[in-house]
Amino acid sequence: MLAPDSAPDSQQQPVQVTLRGGDLVWKRVSPALGRVRLITAAIVLTPLVVASIVVAILVTPWVWLATLALVVVGLWVAWIITRQVSAISWVELDEEIVIRKGRLFRSLVSVPYGRLQYVDIQSGPLMRASGIASCEIHTASPESGGSLPGLPVAEAEALRARLAARGEAQRAGL
Amino acid sequence: MSAPLPPPAPEEAEDWQRLHPLSPLLRGGLVFLAVLGYAASQLFDRVLSTIGLSANGSGFGVDDDPADVGDPTDAFIAHPLVALLAVLLLIAVVALGNYVAWRFSRFRVGARQVELRQGVLFRQHRQVPFERVQAVELSRPILARLFGLAQVVVQSAGGADSNLKLSFLSLARAERVRDDLLALAGASDEAVSQHLDVGAPIEGGVPLAGTAQGGPGAARPILEVPNGRLFVATILHGSTIVLALLVIAALTGVGAANFGAVVFAGLPALVPIALGVGIGRVKELLTHGNFRLADAGSGLRIQHGLTDLRTTTIPLHRIQALDMVQPLWWRPFGWWRIRVNVAGIASGADGGGEAETTLLPVGGLDEALHVLSTLGHRAGVEVLREAALGTEPAPGWFSASSRAKVFDPLSWRRNAWRLTESAVVLRSGRLTRRAVTVPHARVQSLTLAQGPIEARMDLAGVTVVSTPGPVSATLAHLDVDAAERFLDAVAAAARVARRAAPTDHPIPHLAPGPSELVD
Repeated sequence: MLAPDSAPDSQQQPVQVTLRGGDLVWKRVSPALGRVRLITAAIVLTPLVVASIVVAILVTPWVWLATLALVVVGLWVAWIITRQVSAISWVELDEEIVIRKGRLFRSLVSVPYGRLQYVDIQSGPLMRASGIASCEIHTASPESGGSLPGLPVAEAEALRARLAARGEAQRAGL
Repeated sequence: MSAPLPPPAPEEAEDWQRLHPLSPLLRGGLVFLAVLGYAASQLFDRVLSTIGLSANGSGFGVDDDPADVGDPTDAFIAHPLVALLAVLLLIAVVALGNYVAWRFSRFRVGARQVELRQGVLFRQHRQVPFERVQAVELSRPILARLFGLAQVVVQSAGGADSNLKLSFLSLARAERVRDDLLALAGASDEAVSQHLDVGAPIEGGVPLAGTAQGGPGAARPILEVPNGRLFVATILHGSTIVLALLVIAALTGVGAANFGAVVFAGLPALVPIALGVGIGRVKELLTHGNFRLADAGSGLRIQHGLTDLRTTTIPLHRIQALDMVQPLWWRPFGWWRIRVNVAGIASGADGGGEAETTLLPVGGLDEALHVLSTLGHRAGVEVLREAALGTEPAPGWFSASSRAKVFDPLSWRRNAWRLTESAVVLRSGRLTRRAVTVPHARVQSLTLAQGPIEARMDLAGVTVVSTPGPVSATLAHLDVDAAERFLDAVAAAARVARRAAPTDHPIPHLAPGPSELVD
């Protein structure tokens, strides 16, 4: 077992997993995820923009302001989406999988393989068209599960197989 | 846990046991009482209104018109026989339904699992393997207590939906079933921990090996919470204090300004709030009343309830995390509350969970530490005392950043964590003090989180994720590199602890012996 004070004081041995990435080789999700999310956002926003243009032409030119606002929101959302997608990355360590997300609100979750209950792979029509799927990792706690959206389907399947094998090998009691 | 299966074959009937023959009556009893209560209240109203009418001098004539059937009571009085028949028929249908349901429900305590078969049209066969038993509860609703019956609830990790309920059995039989289940569940765990040989010797705590204490039925009392203390503690709650302040404010407003009428008008608005608060407090008092904690060999036996007497037994190694909390208003008395996370008994949803996860509703620090040492804390009592009371950075503890002052002006010096041999301990809160312990072997996952302001100040928060329950282990505003070291150290300790746990056993969800619980 661990001596109480040793580990956190070990300055001589730098910490491997860091919030900003550090020296580990982090894998990124597919850029196709960015495309899918942009399309989804466009599907929501475009009808609104069109509607506002129609109203602006037919009723009052003041509505052009709303159109402008919608366009600005759209650009802002697009910028956020690109930043968010490029910030999702993960690394498979010997006993844990670590997932990092977010730029403004950063988060990092470290899930031991031995704690995996099951792994879900999901893919909607848009994602299927782009050849990506999302991989959700479930433990006995609903809040701890990590999710990796936007892996190429083959990679998602391979990851699930790897996780299942390691989970089986390192399974620990609840 | 449940799967549709063919109906019970007659040849194995002797294995299968029936529930107590009075149980359909008891389940129907509620409907019967409701009908009776409704009829009584209607008749009572009737008598009152008749008296009122006669007092008004209008005479009795109004009710003599049999055509007036707007009120069921009128119909009842007009056609007493028909009404009586209808009521009897309703009761008979309910009773028949319950009887048939009873005929078709059987349960069996097998070699590896407990099973329950139910249902006529929609058959249900639910089985819980012993390895998955998280806790066994014996509950005695007041009606069941009148008949000397009890209900056994087997909690498994899937939450309230996956519980297996045996309602009802005679008390003696229920206790026997409960003890059998716990013994069998304990044995199946013991077999594995012997197989793996992970039992570390316990230095400080009281050993709780199942066989050493005699039969599983023999429970050694640990403590009792006097109802008087519970009463005071229940009243000292955030909601009542706020309410009292509001009332005082309103009253002094009345006193100060002689045109108090305006302020006074605010008082009635407080009535529904007061009612809500009162109901909450009374409910808490009812659930936690008569609280008793006993050491039942391989688990803790919690007994509580003023009207609905419940006894829950939690196997020690099923405890995922525990915390000690002292709200500000309890500080003058030095009281603490201890709660635990047990997989499958999530608090919330049905509201029953909260009571089952409380190991000590209110008690002094020494009592609390005694409970924790009974859980098998090894090096820990002094550490826990520090965790409970410490307000300054101390050796062995790793504190929050001094830059956290902005966020936690009061508690930044107290917020800290440390590792012990078998658990990670977090302490936090200056007003409401909190000390959380998560055994290394029970860490589900670890998270770091950082918002934009924290990012600017180079701070981050950490969470040790446990199964759902009242306890959450979170520490805010550490230095980023301290948070990363926390992750590193706790993950390393958890890795070691997991390796000691079963790995290649055919049954996946097994836990090491009780000594691994907390240190």
